[in-house]
Amino acid sequence: MAEVLLKNIKKIYTDNESRKKGRGKFRQQPKEGEEEKKVSLQITDEGVVAVQEFNLDIKDKEFIVLVGPSGCGKSTTLRMIAGLEEITSGELYIDGNLVNNVEPKDRDIAMVFQSYALYPHMTVYDNMAYSLKIKHVDKAEIDRKVREAAEILDITQYLDRKPKALSGGQRQRVAIGRAIVRNPKVLLMDEPLSNLDAKLRNQMRSEIIKLRKKINTTFVYVTHDQIEAMTLGDRIVVMKDGYIQQIGTPQEVFDHPANLFVSGFIGTPQMNYFDAELVIREGSYYVETKGISVKLAEDKQLRLKENDVKAQPVTLGVRPEHLTIAEEGINGQVEVSELMGSSLHLHMTVDGKDVICIVPTEGRKVNYDGKQLKLAFTGDVAHVFSREDQHNLEY
Amino acid sequence: MKKDINTVAAIKLLISRLVVYGILIFLTFLCLFFFYLMFINASRSNAQLQAGFTMIPGGNTIKNFVNAWHDTNISIPVGMKNSFIVASLSAVLTSYFSALTAYGTYVYDFKYKKAVHLFILAIMMIPSQVSAVGFIQLAFKYHLTNKLWMLIIPSIAAPSVYFYMRQYLEATLPLEMVEAARIDGSNEFRIFNEIVLPIMKPAIAVQMIFSFVGSWNNYFMPSLLLNDLQKKTVPVMIATLRSADFTKFDMGKVYMLMVMAILPVMIIYVILSKSIIKGVTSGSVKG
Ligand SMILES: Nc1ncnc2c1ncn2[C@@H]1O[C@H](COP(=O)(O)OP(=O)(O)O)[C@@H](O)[C@H]1O
Ligand SMILES: [Mg+2]
Repeated sequence: MAEVLLKNIKKIYTDNESRKKGRGKFRQQPKEGEEEKKVSLQITDEGVVAVQEFNLDIKDKEFIVLVGPSGCGKSTTLRMIAGLEEITSGELYIDGNLVNNVEPKDRDIAMVFQSYALYPHMTVYDNMAYSLKIKHVDKAEIDRKVREAAEILDITQYLDRKPKALSGGQRQRVAIGRAIVRNPKVLLMDEPLSNLDAKLRNQMRSEIIKLRKKINTTFVYVTHDQIEAMTLGDRIVVMKDGYIQQIGTPQEVFDHPANLFVSGFIGTPQMNYFDAELVIREGSYYVETKGISVKLAEDKQLRLKENDVKAQPVTLGVRPEHLTIAEEGINGQVEVSELMGSSLHLHMTVDGKDVICIVPTEGRKVNYDGKQLKLAFTGDVAHVFSREDQHNLEY
Repeated sequence: MKKDINTVAAIKLLISRLVVYGILIFLTFLCLFFFYLMFINASRSNAQLQAGFTMIPGGNTIKNFVNAWHDTNISIPVGMKNSFIVASLSAVLTSYFSALTAYGTYVYDFKYKKAVHLFILAIMMIPSQVSAVGFIQLAFKYHLTNKLWMLIIPSIAAPSVYFYMRQYLEATLPLEMVEAARIDGSNEFRIFNEIVLPIMKPAIAVQMIFSFVGSWNNYFMPSLLLNDLQKKTVPVMIATLRSADFTKFDMGKVYMLMVMAILPVMIIYVILSKSIIKGVTSGSVKG
């Protein structure tokens, strides 16, 4: 049993703490592929508000992924769960016990750091055994547990090596091994794969899925990579500027993004946006843009009606894979086409805006470069977002 | 044409190497020449020494050694023992506590932390002679002369060693490692001793050499505090010998004493320099 309950958690970094973070070369660099844009955080008299209004009920053995752009407060949240960072306000419960003021070592959690943070002077074996030694577990038991964890992670042959004699992927496994030897209630991981190259990252991702089946514990996993989030999480928590944007299963978040930000953050290539009008004709909602009119699907009609949504100008979002080439549709000009194997990514301009459209190749060779095409979409894949506050009008 | 460029490059390389090696040889000579002279002089008699310099060893080594050993004004074994106690304890304690202090101001956040840091560094600016006056008065007032620990304790508070340790920590110790140890359940003191100290080994070795040598060669403070023969350190003894008896003044003996005084330092250096290995932390965090 290990539920984690976060109730209205808030974190403010006071000036005192900010000073410490700025120092040294160990300050985390923005990761590859991560947007480096400056986020607009609330800076109050008290300091920087890194996380606020954070409410989340993590169920026993659930795999939760916190995802969001750099600086949105993912690590801060994770570190608060770990007890490495003081909680400014709000309540944190692990297994029903309030642990706001409980020290990390008494929370029965384990954490895998982005930099691995292995002890350089100890062998892999000692790295993994360290926490058990501190707990005075007897030698035979330590040995059994370390070897068992090493077996799971396939690092048995490296047990006598020092971390510096290992490759990045192997160090990663050791870091995970160190965390799982003591059967923590909650296993926290902060961007564990971001220092690995693309191939290894994919491989480790599936390893983590396998690992998850072998060890029975609650996972909280932080990443800025939406693919990791989609593939690993039971539920994902999309964050931005210290606020939760949406909590849901990967499918829910993908199919029903709560707002413009989530729709753009989840899914690659990014969702396409068009300026459009939401109109009501004969009691039904239509989106109209660039001379076409599409009736929204039944479930969308219902939700819009339920919310009593008025006709209004909206931002229309359609995913690249949901745009099709048709006889009638939005006019666009193909600039570049990228062959991705089974599909073709068409980079187009529509009224000066970039639009990406994915079309299956089906083995045919068609040269789209420079062509004028018409794009169409159906009513079940159109997302309508409010122009005012960017939320999804269905919710 | 191509061949020409190659020849020119080869000549350039040769010239630059000659220059570099020339400089290195000159510097090495500067360093070693005086050692050599000392060993030579230790093997010559007083009369020979007064006749002038030479590069050739004399035949008086054993005699000088016996003279030095049996001199009644001094006692080499006692001096060595005293020097060794003071130097080794100072070295160990200085390094350990400086590392501990540096760790404290690096890892923890507390009020006025910056002020504390600056205060420690400010102490570096005060010449030791200035604070020595007060210290000596104190020692005399409370009858604490001729006590070896009076030389050891003050040396523990060493701002420059603290500064070095602090810089070293900033460069080598990621805070995440400390946090990992905390999550592993280690307490703060244990983290320092089991995780941080081993990582700082090279820095500690360097500072131990420096403070050992500094303390071993220190003449100023011991000469003021120690006048009991049983408590004197080697430098103080050498000085005693020089000023003790003008009629029997034997330079060969003094040189021999110097050789004896330097040998332990060399041995310590050889032992500790082995642990100054680079890249002790490599592999702990992303490469
Ligand atoms: N110790 C600190 N002092 C001041 N601000 C901090 C500190 N740590 C993080 N922050 C700020 O809080 C915000 C969230 O940081 P973080 O949780 O590390 O983001 P993420 O992990 O999502 O990239 C960032 O804007 C960051 O600059
Ligand atoms: Mg982070």
